[in-house]
Amino acid sequence: MKTDRVLRKRFNIPKEEASILYKRSKGEKVIYVIAFTIFAVYALSLIFPFLWLLVNSFQNKIIYQINMSDGNAFALPKRWELANYIYAFKELSYNGSNIFNMFFNSIWYTGIHIGGGILMSSFTGYCLAKYDFKVKNLMHAIIIFSMTIPIVGTAGATFKLMSDLNIYNTPFYVLFTSLSGIGLNFLIMYGFFKNISWSYAEAAFIDGASHFTVFFKIMLPMAKPIIFTLSIMSGITYWNEYMNVLLYLPDFPTIASGLFSVSRTLPRLGNTPAYFAALVISLLPVLVIFSLFSDVIMKNFTVGGLKG
Amino acid sequence: MQSIKQSKKSTFKRGETIFLVTLLTIPVLHWLVFWLYININSIILAFQNERGVWSLTNFVQLWDQLTSPYGDTIGLALKNTLFYFLNNILVIFPLSIMIAFFIYKHVKGYKFYRIVFFLPAIISGIAMTTVYTYLLMPNGPLDAILSNIGINIPAQGFFNNSATATPTIIVYTIWTGFSSNIILIGGAMSRIPTEVLESAKIEGCGPFREMVSIVLPLTWSTLQTMIIFTMTSIFMASGPILLFMPDGGYETTTISFWIFKQVYGSGAYGGTGQYGLVSCAGFVFTLIGVPLILFVRRIFEKVPAVEY
Repeated sequence: MKTDRVLRKRFNIPKEEASILYKRSKGEKVIYVIAFTIFAVYALSLIFPFLWLLVNSFQNKIIYQINMSDGNAFALPKRWELANYIYAFKELSYNGSNIFNMFFNSIWYTGIHIGGGILMSSFTGYCLAKYDFKVKNLMHAIIIFSMTIPIVGTAGATFKLMSDLNIYNTPFYVLFTSLSGIGLNFLIMYGFFKNISWSYAEAAFIDGASHFTVFFKIMLPMAKPIIFTLSIMSGITYWNEYMNVLLYLPDFPTIASGLFSVSRTLPRLGNTPAYFAALVISLLPVLVIFSLFSDVIMKNFTVGGLKG
Repeated sequence: MQSIKQSKKSTFKRGETIFLVTLLTIPVLHWLVFWLYININSIILAFQNERGVWSLTNFVQLWDQLTSPYGDTIGLALKNTLFYFLNNILVIFPLSIMIAFFIYKHVKGYKFYRIVFFLPAIISGIAMTTVYTYLLMPNGPLDAILSNIGINIPAQGFFNNSATATPTIIVYTIWTGFSSNIILIGGAMSRIPTEVLESAKIEGCGPFREMVSIVLPLTWSTLQTMIIFTMTSIFMASGPILLFMPDGGYETTTISFWIFKQVYGSGAYGGTGQYGLVSCAGFVFTLIGVPLILFVRRIFEKVPAVEY
């Protein structure tokens, strides 16, 4: 045992990898080398195109066109120009919105969805996990039913409802639609609250705390890590969302829907590198947030993952 | 004394009722309006013509489109959608399990791979489709690499050809399709007690046997939930057609894209505004999908779950 520990320390092997599970026969080693090689190629295929895009976002637009027509796709810029980034910040626009307006629209669109969705899911998740009331089982069944039946083609009725409620193409569309208490967020919050001991609440009730105090001051703060992870994941989803924005908020282009709208026009105008620069700018917030919190995201998703 | 106790109990109960009503009112209203009302209205729209008169016109039109051999009809959309669905369930899902398994088994560089493979889930669809399109274009990076070994990408590219456009988008969905699957399946695998795997290893169990006889049964509850969710979107399975082919050309249309196209801009920007036809198609596909899902769930219930 002691020798194991010494060897592990000497060769810097993590504790879990010293387990018998990670000792492999020759045949197994071959399988793992093949898996490693396939993974390396796949990882390269995911990273390389973005490096290519990044390099070409510094390329002169005319030289880029010449390179592409000459088949010199890998030519590096002779002069690394910031002109494309300046263009993206100063001149790129769609439907009267420049890139700053698009960022602003993305921020409130994402923020409202995170706030509304997670708060409502916490409400439904907590009430259904911790309280017994007459329609509890019915509500739970309805939520699961709503999530698992394959409903298709309600976009027409949704569009009509948005027009009837006069919220089509207004921020109220985002506010009203974000207040959903069902979906994956519900499942995760429900699972979390189900596993929290009720004795915390009982102790607080004995001390005279109300149901609201118990929920907002004891239970919700305990759910902070999972709420944080859900916020980041929902945030990334809504930041990248474009279809609903195109359909229901055409006058409020977000960074995703705005870039979709210029994705054909800029290359057609011979300014593909400026489009690349705008894409790089749009990716930065998400990549920064992910690189800061990737460990938290992975850990919480692993812990709170789906269970049937 | 007893009456004080009883009064305290009833105050507590009243507080609970007020708490539940306060927390659940908004999510319940949201469900009633944005789920129930929309779905009922969608069914009603299916049986009404454009002037709001009860009619079966939409069903006749849907049948005509389903059976017409010409144009980008819903028949073609259905065919492509089923290809995407089969790809999700028969290619992406099994591959995700294999990748998650090797990451779980700590293939060399697994921490790096876990983060890189997750990137398609956080990078916007517009950026992913852009790099993929430019990677594959004639004279693009892949063409430059392949030309070294005497292979050239077709002069019109992969997207401007009906025979290759949909397969190219399907390859894209595989390329980007593992990300969150890997995390969810990996999360389920990480909950398997190490002792089980260690004793199997001592008994001489190889990686294949370990995956089939231990890992799959022990992660079955998560896998079946994921399969049911995939089945739920059977008629909405699609690639990002809008991002690759905003007009759905080269026979790339799918049901979800066809629906988007009918509604987008409510007729002003190319959408037909045919909410009735969209709702009718949705109604028919939902009617087919519901028994299918119930059947799959019934079968899954017969597979015994392993508790640990």
